[in-house]
Amino acid sequence: MLHQRPWFALSRAGRGIVRPLVLATALAAGLASTGVADAATFRISTDAGFGAATSRDPISPKRDDKVASLVYSRLVRLDEAGKPAPDLATEWTMSDDLTEWTFKLRSGVKFHNGADFTSADVVYSLERILSDKIENAAKSVLSIIDTVDAVDPLTVKIKLKSPFSDLPLLLLDYRIRILSAGTGDLESYNESGIGTGPFQIAEYDPEGTSIFTAFPDYWEGKPGVDEIDVFAIPDQQARVQALLSGQIDWLPQIDRQEAKLFADTSKFKTQTIKTGNWEGLVMLTNTKPYDDVRVRKALRIAVDREAMRDLLVGKDGGTISCDSPVWTGDQYYVDIGPCGQDIEGAKKLLAEAGYPDGIDVELIASDLNPLWTGMAEIYQQQVAPAGIRVTIKQVPSAGYWDTVWMKNPFMTTLWGQRPADQVLNEGYRSTAAWNESKFQSPELDALLDKARSTADFEARKAVYGEIQKLLWEQGGTLVPFHDNVLSVMSTKVEGLQPTISAEVRWHQIRVTE
Amino acid sequence: MFRLIVQRVALAALALFLTSLITMAAVEALPSDACAAYLGREIQPAALQKCREKLQLDRPAIERYFIWTRGLLSGDPGVSLNSRRPVGEVLIQRIRNSFLIGGLAALIGIPLAVFLGVYAAIRRERFPDLAISILGIASMALPEFVTATVLVFIFAVSLGWLPAVALISANSTIPQMLPATILPVAVLIVVMVAHVMRVTRTNVIDQLDSEHAEFARLRGVTGWRLLVRHVLPGAVPATIAVCAYTLAWQLAGVVVVERVFNYPGLGSLMVDAINNRDLPLVQTTVLVFTAIFIGTSLLADIAAVLVNPRLRRRSS
Repeated sequence: MLHQRPWFALSRAGRGIVRPLVLATALAAGLASTGVADAATFRISTDAGFGAATSRDPISPKRDDKVASLVYSRLVRLDEAGKPAPDLATEWTMSDDLTEWTFKLRSGVKFHNGADFTSADVVYSLERILSDKIENAAKSVLSIIDTVDAVDPLTVKIKLKSPFSDLPLLLLDYRIRILSAGTGDLESYNESGIGTGPFQIAEYDPEGTSIFTAFPDYWEGKPGVDEIDVFAIPDQQARVQALLSGQIDWLPQIDRQEAKLFADTSKFKTQTIKTGNWEGLVMLTNTKPYDDVRVRKALRIAVDREAMRDLLVGKDGGTISCDSPVWTGDQYYVDIGPCGQDIEGAKKLLAEAGYPDGIDVELIASDLNPLWTGMAEIYQQQVAPAGIRVTIKQVPSAGYWDTVWMKNPFMTTLWGQRPADQVLNEGYRSTAAWNESKFQSPELDALLDKARSTADFEARKAVYGEIQKLLWEQGGTLVPFHDNVLSVMSTKVEGLQPTISAEVRWHQIRVTE
Repeated sequence: MFRLIVQRVALAALALFLTSLITMAAVEALPSDACAAYLGREIQPAALQKCREKLQLDRPAIERYFIWTRGLLSGDPGVSLNSRRPVGEVLIQRIRNSFLIGGLAALIGIPLAVFLGVYAAIRRERFPDLAISILGIASMALPEFVTATVLVFIFAVSLGWLPAVALISANSTIPQMLPATILPVAVLIVVMVAHVMRVTRTNVIDQLDSEHAEFARLRGVTGWRLLVRHVLPGAVPATIAVCAYTLAWQLAGVVVVERVFNYPGLGSLMVDAINNRDLPLVQTTVLVFTAIFIGTSLLADIAAVLVNPRLRRRSS
């Protein structure tokens, strides 16, 4: 879940020409008609963010996340307890020094082209990610891997460059999928579309309609629907209209205001999905005045997180976080709260840091994410009593990641759900490319290494707890809450669990008439 | 007449050239480029550099503009930076799709509008005129996306008769596309009819009140004969001009309507191309739009001259 935005997030190509009008029709939405549906077909949409250039390769920057999760399987998947569960790998063991991992593979698994799944496919799939010739961001996730070897047809040995007790967590990354060794090389992206997943590609048109048919030999059994149709609809409001009129069966994410449109429970059901996604504010900890840990903490504790969440997304719209990027569903989440608003504490810290009369800061926000501007404005109001005078500078959303992010001392940011180890190493380790607060803490780096090399789960969890406390005391990142996503589907849809899109169990879905 | 056409074509060529310059400057002025838009947050200096070299974005804008212009003049508008497909190939399907809804709307809308305009004029200030005028003003005042949303709500969501959005591919066959074109065409007609109808009504009324028509009436010409022989010939040139401008102006409406209905036409192509900073595609699409606009205006001028002898004499 390394990608900056889950595929269900906002349409890249401008959203909501018709938003106000759709909302205006909310009152009468109960009249929504039933569409005509083929019972054995599940119809969904994609934002078609990459248009005709979309790649079927799950590691391409222009990957199609639908293809990745419908067509391909991973070695492990995420279970409800936030832990890695068997998928193509049935069990795994590590050496005592935590540098050598052995994965046993599932037997009798077939690829869509009829080939047997073996260790050679795992070696190919991981080596292509590590290949210098194929540009991909999953490479940094697996950079700890030294070699991948096939021991026998159903056993793979992975040697690491340094000890790591949680390798399966990295293999959960939604791009790290198993492709068939016979379908590609280590030189270029693999456009074969041949996987071991529950659905296979029948027709592929990333700008129009793509048809995926059930793979009868899927190892978990024949999928519950015969066909999944994916329609390219770049505009969120158009997607909402398509669901309202029964042209599609499911929208994995809608805005809270749009929920009113789907109030008719005889036709629609909504799900609230807890996720580890978050939007927040980040300070560059190497830049004045944010290089002073007291200023950073003051700027964070002056916030009323609960009120901010209630105003932005409503009470059910998020789970409060005390500036921890580790979310409540993660096995290493530690509750370090409560972290209520502390105006006096903030004033005191600012005075100690040499700002007895308060401090002026400039906060950069943009409309790239729909919550950012509101969050900046609420922040401005909430911290004012502590003497923090915030000027908001609104910048264009185009080029935000390129020209604004990590280049300004105080700005809005967002992250998709990742396991604790991944989000901490990617976003906070002093050497990380995405260390967006430029956080330089040898103490944190040492704790991250310690967590990785601690074999015992409880002891490891204690280390992650220390890390979360350290970030609360010293960090430069405000994480007010983790998002709860609202998903809507037709009442005809059964078996769709409330989970983030990368973890959807497609074969369990049924559509009844 | 001939001189007029030559003059106009030369001016059109100049306008196209200036438009392409302005488009390039506008896209260059936008923050970010095709590579940054493509890489998003996965942007890393090395990857960005590689991508810019590959797409030749490291060359100066002027140089890239001349490469594109040279290609265009030899019939090759280049390759889309995003999909790496030839721009011409991408455009052809989209032009067909946009012309399908634009053409259907014009074919139904213009005769309807002229009929309503004339009818309102001859029933001036009586009930039919008031009804038509009020409805016309209302539909003019409503932006396309409002009309679109209302129509979708009635015909797709409530009644379930028509698809709310087009779930078709850019290369679908025309019969496959027709059901999906009904609502977009209806929206375009609603907006277009109002403009043309208003102008037709005004022109016909002007003619009805003219000394020329008064004279005809004094000679005993009435009814259809008066309308067809004496009133419409005077009212037609201005109406033709407005039809042409409405058609050209409708291009903007097409962009909005295509977006709302998820319709794979020229308009949605341009929106995507701008978001992707896909300069060759933006340039060529804008050029097509401009050419349609200029071409329609030119035809309108020529048609106006042809039907109005007075203009013909003056220009030659």
